[in-house]
Amino acid sequence: MAKRNKLEIIKDILKIIQENHSIKPTPLLRKSNMSSSRFKEYYSDLINKEFIRETYGKNKKITLTEKGQRYLEKYSTIINFIEEFEL
Amino acid sequence: MTGRAIGQGLGQSLGRFGAGIGGEIIYSFVIIICSLMIYFGTRELYKLTSHKGIKYFRLSFLFFAFAYFFRSFIKIILFYFDKKELITFLPIFGSVTLFIFMYFSSMAIFYLLYSVMWKKWKFKSTIYILHAIALIISTIILLSKNPTIYFITNIILFIFITFTVYISYKQSKKKKSQNLYIIYLMLFIFWIFNIIDILVPNFLQLFQLFIYLISIGIFLAIFYKVIRKTG
Repeated sequence: MAKRNKLEIIKDILKIIQENHSIKPTPLLRKSNMSSSRFKEYYSDLINKEFIRETYGKNKKITLTEKGQRYLEKYSTIINFIEEFEL
Repeated sequence: MTGRAIGQGLGQSLGRFGAGIGGEIIYSFVIIICSLMIYFGTRELYKLTSHKGIKYFRLSFLFFAFAYFFRSFIKIILFYFDKKELITFLPIFGSVTLFIFMYFSSMAIFYLLYSVMWKKWKFKSTIYILHAIALIISTIILLSKNPTIYFITNIILFIFITFTVYISYKQSKKKKSQNLYIIYLMLFIFWIFNIIDILVPNFLQLFQLFIYLISIGIFLAIFYKVIRKTG
């Protein structure tokens, strides 16, 4: 299996959140198929970029923001663009 | 000088200004608009990804827009006052304008190269080195005031760019990207013609229309590729 690049990993994490509507951090870590330390890096990056937000009810849950939704919508365009111009 | 003579001179000047400068303005306008549309059209992709390649690609076209703006500015002044060289006509103003034009144009090309090469050029300060080279080129052009030096500088720049593009193409996994490298190479060649057209007046005058048409075609081809991919 080819190594995933950063953009692909972000897409995979966001996709898991989207499919589950909202998800707790531990199942998200398990489903994202990454080491805990690497996951933490991506997690804080996604929070900082406002792709995901934490909601506090009975448990801490993670949901997708509008920007995160937009990333998923634009993902194939982004990849096509990068490939077209060899960026 | 009588009022009639002044009137005649002004009339001739305005007539010449309208005929030649019209083409110059249209040429610059098309390329500046293409470049800015590429820059702003890819803004969302960059904001979503912070991808370095997209960043340098966008900056390249922003710098092309600035460079063409200064280029047309120089051309309009030369045309309006019927002069051949800006530096001899307006020493300080001309030197500053030419320096800015050379810096923006060199950096536009370097940013485009770097957008393709950033993954391979691992050295962290590469972009600062490219800025330094652009500043050195601009200074040499400014201080030398010698067409031979202009040609040598541009030939060195061209050899460096061609070599880099060739290496990048050879290393590319996608052989269908051949078109992209041909477009880039054409862009670099015709950009150097544009620089020579400014630095050595009359040298390429016979081919000016041809250079303008091909340059517009190259920018439109890149613009078309961008909108086809970004929607």
